[in-house]
Amino acid sequence: MPGSRHPSLSPPPMARRSLLIAATAGVLATACGSAMSQPAGKVALHGDNADWREPLAEAGRAMRSAAGIELVPEVIPSLESFEQVVKSSLRTRKTPDMLKYWSGYRLQDLARTGGIEELTDAWEEAESAGWVDPSLRTAFTYRDRVYGLPMNLTYWVFFYNTEVFAELGLTPPTTWDEFLNACATFKAAGITPLHATTDGRWPAFIWFMEVLSRQDPDFYLGLMNGREDYTDPRAERALTTIAEFAENDWFTELDTNHTDAAASVVHGTLGMMPGGTFMTANLMTAGGEPGGNIDAFVLPMANPDAAPCMIFESSALVCTVKGPDRAEALEAAAAWLRPEVAGAFSSTLQDGSPNPRVAAANPMVEGIVRTARERELTMLNRFWELGPPELVEATVDDLAGFLLNPSSARSTLATMQERAEDAWQVWREAEQS
Amino acid sequence: MSQTLRAPRASAPGRRSRVPLRSANSPSSHGRSLGGPLTAVPWLLPALALVGVLLVYPFLRSVYGSLFEDNGFERSFVGLDNYARLADDPIFSRSLLNTLMWVVGTLLLPVLLGLLIAVATYRMRLGGVVQLLVVLPYAISGAATAVLWNFMLTSDGAVNQVLRAVGLDSLAHPWLLEWPHNTIAMIVASTWQGTGLNVVLFAIGLRAIPRETLEAAALDGASGWRLFRHITFPQLRAVTVVVVGMAIVNSLKAFDMIWILTKGGPSRSSETLALTMYRETFRLFHVGYGSAIALVLTVIVIASAWLYLRRQMPTSARD
Repeated sequence: MPGSRHPSLSPPPMARRSLLIAATAGVLATACGSAMSQPAGKVALHGDNADWREPLAEAGRAMRSAAGIELVPEVIPSLESFEQVVKSSLRTRKTPDMLKYWSGYRLQDLARTGGIEELTDAWEEAESAGWVDPSLRTAFTYRDRVYGLPMNLTYWVFFYNTEVFAELGLTPPTTWDEFLNACATFKAAGITPLHATTDGRWPAFIWFMEVLSRQDPDFYLGLMNGREDYTDPRAERALTTIAEFAENDWFTELDTNHTDAAASVVHGTLGMMPGGTFMTANLMTAGGEPGGNIDAFVLPMANPDAAPCMIFESSALVCTVKGPDRAEALEAAAAWLRPEVAGAFSSTLQDGSPNPRVAAANPMVEGIVRTARERELTMLNRFWELGPPELVEATVDDLAGFLLNPSSARSTLATMQERAEDAWQVWREAEQS
Repeated sequence: MSQTLRAPRASAPGRRSRVPLRSANSPSSHGRSLGGPLTAVPWLLPALALVGVLLVYPFLRSVYGSLFEDNGFERSFVGLDNYARLADDPIFSRSLLNTLMWVVGTLLLPVLLGLLIAVATYRMRLGGVVQLLVVLPYAISGAATAVLWNFMLTSDGAVNQVLRAVGLDSLAHPWLLEWPHNTIAMIVASTWQGTGLNVVLFAIGLRAIPRETLEAAALDGASGWRLFRHITFPQLRAVTVVVVGMAIVNSLKAFDMIWILTKGGPSRSSETLALTMYRETFRLFHVGYGSAIALVLTVIVIASAWLYLRRQMPTSARD
């Protein structure tokens, strides 16, 4: 600075300018660069479940051998934060390249933003190679185009302890009456028959989904797709059945989480736990051996005249339009359903695979797949993935309220219907626009 | 502050050289100006920019956003409809009530308990050890505290196990499942964590009371409750202002503990305004409605802080 009293301490003008330029460049590089971009040959896959990190890494290694590209799992271990990051970044260049997302309406919700890639070609190539179950396609389709590839195939079943079943003279129920008898037998033996919970919010829908789909699968689909009303007597019948279970004192305390419930099944202090096969890991952590002391059955139909069904859940592999490694992400998606990749993933996750050529991860999953095939079960998507996400988010809270106060069936259904009318109207208006 | 500003006007010119009181902009002793009224602006700019970008702009943006129905992707102007909806929304009413319970609970429990423990222990031989034990939970993060209390408060948790073990089965309760038990239980958990800091602050205040004052009061016959009521407590006023102010603000922004213990449930029964705002904005993507709730919460925070400090600060400054 001219006239400064300490010129010698001041950096020469050029040095200062260089410093400023360097600092500005640094700031700009940080701000504008794609922090999530991976080195060539690698692509990041973002998800919300820390338990998926190792299975994804294993699938990534298999993919590197098979297709020369590696998946790098990135976990945002909170459903809320993950969805927030996805929705807020989708239209920016900072968006993740690949996502583990939900199927059904949640995927449709994302697809209609225009922020994710169409993957119809990848699906059709996989289907023609016999690498994907074609019946899953509708769960990944929006306006006749595929926007996601199935990552896993979770079967919703009832887990039980084979040793305790044997001690009580029970066999896995194949009719609704046998199921009720099993519950009564457990109760008489001083063991809580069934797990029900509101812990973590979302599990509040499990019983409604299971009972309604077994009483009337067509109505379940109609209701979930906005064609039927919550105030219909068939919805009320489902809640009445659940209320009877509660009245019989067949349920655990509603704040029993799935980890504790899984341990209770393994230790013989809980009769049966409804859940997805992705929960197998919880049972194994507690000392259970799938196909050994732990097994699972598909809840029988309450209405034997209805087409037999079971609930499935499948996460969607999604590529974003604006991700920094878009081309590599599409390449990775095309390789995802290869048997060696899908197999590495499902065997590490210990869950079902959407690729029929992949061997079952364990004897329990193998048994479920066999049951589904032999009984020709119709696969129905899960409650969480059906209907506008905004509606599902609100109705799980209503169902939690009902579980806490089972005498509130009618008012619960009336509230759910009000919400459904509003949410479907908004959804349909958005569809038209 | 007011003394500093008034002093130069009240002083005689001759005394100015002995008591060099002057503000940053007043003439220097050589009578040469360091700059006009705008001299300070460059120094203020970084702070103003930070506050402007991180506080004022988001606030104004939220006010503007609250006038729209916005799902994160599309939006339409609805005027004050979001505010009208608040009045009819039972979840908002419950949330407001829970927030009020948090404010009252946090004022009653951690503040009173903190004062009680500080007064009871500050002259004890092992008082410091007791205070340290009470302060320890403050070192744990809110999230870790919530996880810990989850083990205590579930139906099969430690609290119910203890109650059953001592024959008080009738008092055992699914603490986190029913309102208002869930909100009250979480306030208690928050008290466990937050009381320690209040104990430290009150203990500092107690040590600052001149011994002569207490001795004079004792000579005049004051002891026990009378000594505390008329001598000790008034001397703690400055500390109490801080503790109560912090308690109000902390209770209004309670989030982490509720989020981890109940996620605001079951059935949204334990949500506070902060949680309702978060859920509406980031889970249900009712961005405009969430902004309206945020604004209501901001108004409550500012109004309560302003009313409280306006009432307390001038008096404490005179003290």
